[in-house]
Amino acid sequence: MKKTIYLFTAISMFLLGACSSDDNAIIQEDFVVAFENPSLSFAAEEETKDVNLIFSRPASQDGTVTVGYTATNAIYGEDEDFVTLPNAVDGEIFIDFFAGDEGASFNFTKLKDAIEGTEKMITFNIQSISIEDAYVSGNTTVQVTFEETAALGGTNAPEVGGVNQPNQVYIDLSAQKSMIINREAWDLGFYSGDDFRVIINGSLYMAAAELEATNIDLITAADVAELQSQVAVGTFDAANAKYVDTPDGNLEGTAIKKISAEEIENKVYLINLGYEVGTETAETGAVDITDEPRGWMKIRVLRSDNGYTLQYAPLDSDSHSEVNISKDATYNFQYFSLVEEKEVVAQPKQGEWDLLFTVFTNEIPGFGSYGYADFIVTNRLDGVKSYQVESETIAYSEFTSENVDTSLFEEDQRAIGSKWRNGGGPGTLPSLKENIYFVVKDPAGNNYKLKFTSLLDEDGMRGYPSFEYALL
Amino acid sequence: MKIYTPLLFFLGITVVSAQQKPKDSLIVDQLDEVVVTGQYDKQSIDKSVFEVKVISRKTIDQLAANNLADVLNQSLNINIMPNPSTGKSGVELFGLDSQYFKILVDGIPLINDEGLGNNTDLTQINLDDIEQVEIVEGAMGVQYGSNAVSGIINIITKKASDHKWQITPYFQEESIGNEYGWFDKGRHIQSIRIGHNFSNKFYANATYTRNEFTGLLADREGKNHQLNDGERGYEWLPKLQNNIKTLFRYRKNSFSAFYRFEYFDELTKKYNPEVRTNLNPATQTTNPTASDEAFFSERFYHHLSLSGKVFKKANYQASFSYQEQKRNVETYTYRIKTREELNNQNFEYESRQGLYSRGSLNNLFKNDWFSSQIGYELSNINGYSSFLAGDYDSDNIERRLESYDVFTSAELKISDKFSLRPGFRAMFSSKFDTQGAYTLSSVYRFENGYSLRANLGSSPRNPNYDELFTYFVDVNHDVQGNPNINPERGSSAFLHLKKTFWFDDYNWKMNSKLSGWFLSVDDRIELSIVNQSPLAYKYLNIDSFKNWGLSYANDISIRNLNLGVGISFSGESKELISQTGYNDDYLYGFQLNGNLSYSVPKWSSVFSIFFKHNGPEYQFIQGQNEDNDVVFIKGKRGAYSWMDATVKKTFQDTNLEISLGARNILNVTNVTNTSTGADGVHSGTPANSVILGYGRSYFLKLLYNLNF
Repeated sequence: MKKTIYLFTAISMFLLGACSSDDNAIIQEDFVVAFENPSLSFAAEEETKDVNLIFSRPASQDGTVTVGYTATNAIYGEDEDFVTLPNAVDGEIFIDFFAGDEGASFNFTKLKDAIEGTEKMITFNIQSISIEDAYVSGNTTVQVTFEETAALGGTNAPEVGGVNQPNQVYIDLSAQKSMIINREAWDLGFYSGDDFRVIINGSLYMAAAELEATNIDLITAADVAELQSQVAVGTFDAANAKYVDTPDGNLEGTAIKKISAEEIENKVYLINLGYEVGTETAETGAVDITDEPRGWMKIRVLRSDNGYTLQYAPLDSDSHSEVNISKDATYNFQYFSLVEEKEVVAQPKQGEWDLLFTVFTNEIPGFGSYGYADFIVTNRLDGVKSYQVESETIAYSEFTSENVDTSLFEEDQRAIGSKWRNGGGPGTLPSLKENIYFVVKDPAGNNYKLKFTSLLDEDGMRGYPSFEYALL
Repeated sequence: MKIYTPLLFFLGITVVSAQQKPKDSLIVDQLDEVVVTGQYDKQSIDKSVFEVKVISRKTIDQLAANNLADVLNQSLNINIMPNPSTGKSGVELFGLDSQYFKILVDGIPLINDEGLGNNTDLTQINLDDIEQVEIVEGAMGVQYGSNAVSGIINIITKKASDHKWQITPYFQEESIGNEYGWFDKGRHIQSIRIGHNFSNKFYANATYTRNEFTGLLADREGKNHQLNDGERGYEWLPKLQNNIKTLFRYRKNSFSAFYRFEYFDELTKKYNPEVRTNLNPATQTTNPTASDEAFFSERFYHHLSLSGKVFKKANYQASFSYQEQKRNVETYTYRIKTREELNNQNFEYESRQGLYSRGSLNNLFKNDWFSSQIGYELSNINGYSSFLAGDYDSDNIERRLESYDVFTSAELKISDKFSLRPGFRAMFSSKFDTQGAYTLSSVYRFENGYSLRANLGSSPRNPNYDELFTYFVDVNHDVQGNPNINPERGSSAFLHLKKTFWFDDYNWKMNSKLSGWFLSVDDRIELSIVNQSPLAYKYLNIDSFKNWGLSYANDISIRNLNLGVGISFSGESKELISQTGYNDDYLYGFQLNGNLSYSVPKWSSVFSIFFKHNGPEYQFIQGQNEDNDVVFIKGKRGAYSWMDATVKKTFQDTNLEISLGARNILNVTNVTNTSTGADGVHSGTPANSVILGYGRSYFLKLLYNLNF
């Protein structure tokens, strides 16, 4: 009997010690509603736009957001200046949403343009939300102007395209516009300005080496075999920087020398076409930028009447194709695809972009060229400049036009570059630098403050950047 | 109420068991220390030709050690290197890591998720059913095969009891540094062991231990911290272990057989310090998330051992074993505000499983001056390493390694004073070239009581998966494993001079030992530059490693007092042909240890204190000078000391044992370390301090011996 008591007590003590408390109940968050952007403006040709509302989390039940407005020099109505859908009733618009929705929107139609010299503007505000524990914060109003004005600010999530980062995304902050180009769409860019310059596509890790010859048909694979292992990105050789365009964006430093008026000075170039866009999935925090190599070509570029003549051929070919590419002053570059053998538009018009999200060929001093993912380039040719500010010096929310120090603006197109993120490494995921933001001067001279809000998606996959910005 | 339950329990025991007779079996063990490691048969430690260090059950109890990491910290030459970010702890011996060191249980290697016997996580080896731990320093390839370069540990389990029934429950409460709470903080151990003699032939025992380590926060903020300031998660990862072990033993005349089974599981949670704030600029709200991982390991161990006599004089031993250890990982996104887990994915992370057998036949031709052993060792191990566990170009690695070894040795008793033991092993494998290992051991007993032992030995170290299968090639990198590399060649020479001194009419006793050694590893595998432009790395058999040293240890017993002091001094040289401009000068370090235990029979109490000092250690590391040239700089790992103290009291009339103590009294957490260099390929932040411990902590262990 005694033994049984011991055993029983021993076992009960054991079980007691083994239990523990663990409170893992899911906690429901507040439901916050705001306008996606603080301002919207209409270009002359635009008539209708959606005004978006953003929820902080998917709605847990059906409900209605009530939006009111105040109009400046404008009247609501079919025969007046503007209408909305759903229609406004007594100065209020009721927008329904359903459980699971992550946002809602209403449509705004401009009926009459602003008269030159008067400001026509509607300011919408969120008046109420029909469900409990719902709040309005952040962009509580949106200002809609009838003529084109620089955006007061906003948010943007450039569609770089995830871990393979297949896209180059051009952003125009003031016009709230973006343009998406597949990285493989182009190989060479021909400068439309006064100078005669040709750039290579660094987002594919292309490289170019000048050869001795001037007759493209006489070059064979055997002639360049020894050179090929060096004409590449990431060889960890300081000397290979000359095979890529200077990463600061100065056209004086292109891998292909200035195209000379003297034909004899324009040599044949060996072109490493870089890599195809990656196709595989990547682990959390990693990228899969590159797939198979795109191979090699030889080219020679000459001046023509209104631009350039491009000769190109596969390495071992004893004949070549030739194409004339004319300068067009509305663009900075005319782009050509050696694979598709045609001209392509791969950049917005001159002055119509500020930032480019792209894979990039950078240089590590002492180690040569090095490929970067999640890189941001500023539009150097159109005068976009930027500099970095530490939150410790002055908080993002407190930074105003008075704080802009024009002496700090960097012309280098890498002024943002990879500074906005931590690279990560063995055992650490790459991450956003949350304690810095940037000041960006656009081609029109508007100054914006710009803060990155993500590098990864919620699950930690790369290639999902986003940022917010505000006009100073 | 919770707090009172254990108290009530022990009060209850005190009352009901007042009539139990006291019995102390510890004294018996003391008289003639017996070892089995490297022996043909059980052997008294004095007769062994090998120098075997024994950590007795008594020492384990005095340290209140629950796992192997708790006990080895105090051993000379051995360092325990914890990795707080994986929760694993490995051995470092003679400057070589746990790949070179083999852990055996009852003479057979113990599997883990990264290897058979090597790469063992010491915190996964529970000591509750252990009789003693035997340590042999130096290469033991003939006896124990490959990967036994720096030494081996043989864990000897309990296989007998003096009692018909032996029921031993205990629980142990321990603080982790200064963090302790009844449930959510500290280390909580509960264990019960039951042993039973069915007859004088059959014996069986079973042990269950639960060990909960809740992790150490230190300056960190736990899993629900929402800011990306590097403070989320734990400094030491929380983990929970369960361990079940059983043994059945049969013994008749000279025949003996046992079957031992072990199940072990461990859950480790890793909370990523990187928090993604996910600011929604429109609403100015955040949705912080993190990528977390939960690791779940399971080990199954079966061991059938047979031994007996054939042809009158000869005895045989045979072991058959199936073992597996699997480490699974669950990755998920954790939404910190709502405490939701999303996108849960389960993978097998790493595993080893397979069959093992070892057999030997001893003394087939035995006479007074000659005895011999012939034997075999076979293993057939399936290994798996997922793309998450290494850089294998997003592939999973699966590999079967079959090894077929045969070995032989002979012991020649040339005179009463001098015996010699040469041995050889041939190792055939499905993956590597055939390897050989040799040994030559001898003992000479001088007339004045001195004995001199010399041991030469060798053992290869097989390449690991990183060295074989790494494939990290992209536009910026080219780092490749090498399937054609050969095992590294390790060898060692040891000399031990020993004597026992007696004083004061045999009331004082002092065991003194002076040892010297030289250990080398050739064809060492190192990541090497195989092409400068484009820069490419590959693993090659290229470098070499040397270590020599001296140690002097004394054990003094004066009646109820036991005192041990030791000092060791060693030098290490690395020839790094894989690097340009290396420096292979010897760099020296030293260690001191001491322990004191004093028993007061009147109080049935033992007071013990353990101390070990690890002097600074130096290593040459790659760095850059002002001209950006690669140069080798002498890096230093700072000195630190371990001190533990325990009071153990036995209540004779109740069979209750209480141990109260403190670990890491000198409050070591980390030491400065300037000897971890950048790896040249992808230099992360160079660590300038290494975490060694979690600070001073206290424990209370209550154990009850119910024997009848």
